[in-house]
Amino acid sequence: MSGAPDLAGRVADGWSVALTGLAPDARRAGLAAVDDGARTAGRDPREVHRLATIGGPVSADTLEALAGEGFGVLVLATADPDEVRAFAGLVPEVRARVAAARAQAGVRVGTVRSAAVRARRRPGIDYDAIPASLADRAVEPGDAQYGGVRSNYLRGGSPGLVLRPRTTAEVVDALAYVRGQDVPLGVRSGGHGVSGRSTNDGGIVIDLGALNSIEVLDEATRRVRIGPGARWGEVARALHPHGWAITSGDYGGVGVGGLATAGGIGFMAREHGLTIDHVRAVEMVLADGSVVHADETRHPDLFWGVRGAGSALGIVTAFEFEADEVGLLGFAQLTLDASDTAGLLQAYGEVVEAAPRDVTAFLILGPPRRGQPAVARIMATVDSDDPDTIIDRLQPLADIGPLLDQQVVLTPYPGIIALPDPGPHQGQGEPATRSGLVEHITPEFAQAAERFLRSGATYFFQFRSVGGAVADVPPEATAYASRSANFSAVASAAAGAAWTRRGTRWPGTSAGSTGASRPTAVPAGCSTRTRPRRCGGCAR
Amino acid sequence: MTDYGHDLRFGSFITPANAAPQQVVAVTQAAEEAGLDLATFQDHPYQPRFLDTWTLLSYVAARTERIHLSGNVLNLPLRPPAVLARAAASLDLLSGGRFELGLGAGGFWDAIAAMGGRRLSPGQAVDALSEAIDVIRGVWDADNREPLRVHGTYYQVDGAKRGPAPAHPVGIWLGAYKPRMLRLIGRKADGWLPTLAYLDSLRDIADGNAVIDEAAAGAGRDPRAIRRQLNVGGQFRTASSDRLLAGPPEQWAEQLAALALEYGVADFMLASDDPQALAVFGEQVAPAVRELVAAERAR
Repeated sequence: MSGAPDLAGRVADGWSVALTGLAPDARRAGLAAVDDGARTAGRDPREVHRLATIGGPVSADTLEALAGEGFGVLVLATADPDEVRAFAGLVPEVRARVAAARAQAGVRVGTVRSAAVRARRRPGIDYDAIPASLADRAVEPGDAQYGGVRSNYLRGGSPGLVLRPRTTAEVVDALAYVRGQDVPLGVRSGGHGVSGRSTNDGGIVIDLGALNSIEVLDEATRRVRIGPGARWGEVARALHPHGWAITSGDYGGVGVGGLATAGGIGFMAREHGLTIDHVRAVEMVLADGSVVHADETRHPDLFWGVRGAGSALGIVTAFEFEADEVGLLGFAQLTLDASDTAGLLQAYGEVVEAAPRDVTAFLILGPPRRGQPAVARIMATVDSDDPDTIIDRLQPLADIGPLLDQQVVLTPYPGIIALPDPGPHQGQGEPATRSGLVEHITPEFAQAAERFLRSGATYFFQFRSVGGAVADVPPEATAYASRSANFSAVASAAAGAAWTRRGTRWPGTSAGSTGASRPTAVPAGCSTRTRPRRCGGCAR
Repeated sequence: MTDYGHDLRFGSFITPANAAPQQVVAVTQAAEEAGLDLATFQDHPYQPRFLDTWTLLSYVAARTERIHLSGNVLNLPLRPPAVLARAAASLDLLSGGRFELGLGAGGFWDAIAAMGGRRLSPGQAVDALSEAIDVIRGVWDADNREPLRVHGTYYQVDGAKRGPAPAHPVGIWLGAYKPRMLRLIGRKADGWLPTLAYLDSLRDIADGNAVIDEAAAGAGRDPRAIRRQLNVGGQFRTASSDRLLAGPPEQWAEQLAALALEYGVADFMLASDDPQALAVFGEQVAPAVRELVAAERAR
C-alpha cells in the first residue's frame, strides 16, 4: 500500500496517497489502516489528515465522494494550467456540498490537537469550546508556539491557553468565551508589565499583539489611532517622520495597551505629561462583550477610568492619541558616586523640582558592590536642540555628586526609546516589585532610602521625575489622581522579599500622610517595568 | 605581491539569524539596493538560532533581482554533494544565473556528529571536499552522456544521471587557511574565501596565494582562474585611524585598493547586518576602490 497507512496512523500528521491505479477497495483499506494505526498508538484518527493525489479530469461528484471518505486534501496531478483552472473552478461547489453534508451530519470542523498536546491541557478550560474565529491562532501547552507566548518580559508563566485575536470582533469572541471559563484571565499587549498579569499559571491569556496598527487620523491635529499591541518603540519610529512623539515610558518594548491605560511616566513627562494625558478616545470591549467608544462626551465616566485604571474596566482595542511636536532632544546618561546616597538623593530631588519643564530625569540606584561604591545612574532628557541650553540644564544634575562618567547626545525621540532584540519574551521566575509616588524627597525619605538600599533588599531602585505638566491635570480629571507628586519610586527584588509583603510602607512615608505621598502597592493598571539593565514603561 | 587582474566585486556577509527572519531578507535587499554584487550567508546547520542557509538562499533569490548569492561557506558534511549539485544548478536556473557555491570542509565536528553527520579528521575532510567537488562538477556536466561514477573514500556516486547544468558557470569557492586546502583550491576550485579576522597577518594572504598558484600550475591551471576573496569587518568612523578598516570610507577605499593591488583580492565581503554600513560600503567604498585600482592598473 502506497504511503504506509499504518505508519502514518501511528506517527504522522497525514497520509498521502496517489489514487491513480489504486482500486477503491484498496483506498478504503488504506483509510481504515490509518484509523487502526492511530488507535493503536493512542491517537484520535482525526489527528491524521488524508491527502489524495488524483489524475484528471475530475468532477465535483468525485471530489465530494472522496471528501466523504475522509480525504481533506485533494491534489490534482497535472502540468496543464487549463486543467488546474478547471479543477479550481470546482472547488467552491465541492466546499459548499461538503459543508452542507457535514452540517447535516453534525460533524465538527477543525484541527484536532494531538493526544500529546491534549494530555497537557489544564483543568477548568473547555478547549473544545474555543470560538472558531480564535481556534486557529490559539496556543496551548505542548503547541510548538507555546514557548514564545507563555512568559512575559519579566516573569515566567504557564497559562493553559493563549488566545490571539486580530480584530475587535475577535476580542469580543474571546471575552464571551472566557466569561464561561473558571480560570484566571490575563490581558497582554506588549507583555512588558511588571504586575505579572499578562501571564498566569493555568489560566487564559488574551494576547493583543496582533492589534498593533499605527495610523495617522489627522495631520492638523496630530491625531493618531494606535492598537494596544503596538510597542512604543514602533510608535516612536512611526511618528518620527511626522515630527511627532508621544511620551511613553523609557523602553521601546513596552506595549501601548498597558501603559496607556495605567499612566505612562516617560522621558518627556515634565514637559508633556503622562501617556494617558494624550489619550483622546478609546474603543474598548467591556466584560459583557459590548463594544463602546469613550471620550470626553461619550461614556465620560468610562473615559475617566480608563486613564489610570483601564485594566480594571475592559480591554481597549484602539486608542486615539494626540501626539506632540517633538524635535531633537538632548539625552544624557550620567554615572555618579552614590556613597552618600541620602545626600545625593536629596540633591537630586531639589534639582529636579527646581528644573524647567524641559528637563525630565530618571535616577537608578544599585546596591554597593564588593569594594565599589554605590553608583547612581541618571538618564535625563532635555527638550532642546541647542547644545548650550542642554548643558545648562544638565549641569545641576551632574553636580549632585562625584561624576564618574557621562555621555550626552543629541537624538530624535526614537534614539531614546530602544526596541528590544527580536524574539519572544524569555522572562523567568517571579521577581517582586513595588512602586509609589513621592511628593518630595525629604531628608527623612532620603535617609530611609539609603538604609533600604544598603540593606541589600533591592537590586534596582529608581526615581523618575513627574510633576510639571503631569501636575497640570486636575486630580479628579482622570483615574490617575496623584498629580501633585514630584517623583515615582520603584524598587525590585527577588521573589518573596519580606518588604514586598502587603502593608509595608515606602521608606520615609507614613500611612497617615495624605495625597500623592501615600504609599501604595503596585496598583491595578500599573505596568511599571523594572530590569536592572534597562527599565521601561513605569505607569505609576 | 600579485594582482591577478580580476574585476572587483563587493559583497555582504549577513547573519542568518532566525529570531526576525524577515529582517535578514530586508538586509539582503538593502545590500542589493546599495549596489553590492554579492549577498552571502554563513551556514551552520547545527545552530538552532540560524535559518537554514539553503532555504534562506532560495527565499532571498526570489526576493532580489540582481545581486548574486552564496553560502559563506556551505557545510559540506551535512549536505550530500550530489544533491547539493542539483540544488545549486536549480537555484542558478531559477535565479537567472545568480548563485555561487561557497563550500567548506566542516569544522565543528561535535555539532556535525550530533546532527547525525560523519566525524572526520581535518585531513580526511579535505579529501572528502575534493571528492565532493568531483561529484558536483560531474553532475553539472550535463553534456556528458556517460553516467557519473565517482568512487571516492567518502562519497560514492555509481551511475547517476547528470544535469542540470547551471545557468552560468557557478564558482566553487572554498573557505581555507591550511596548505592542504589551499592546494585543493589550486587544483580544483574557483575561489579562495578566507575571513580576515582568522588570518594572523596580511602576509598569510601572500603566502596562501603562493601555495594556491603553485598547486594550480602543477595541475596545469592558470592561477588567474582562481579568484582571491576576503571576508572583512570594520567600523565606519569620521576620524581616520592607523588600523585596518576603522575610519572614514576614503580610508577603507585606500586600504581595500591596496589589498586588491598587492594581494590580489578581488571580492570583498563586508560582515555586517547594518543596512547603513552596507550602503556606505556599496555606494562610497566600492566605487572609490574601483577607481583607485583602475587608475593604478592603467599606469
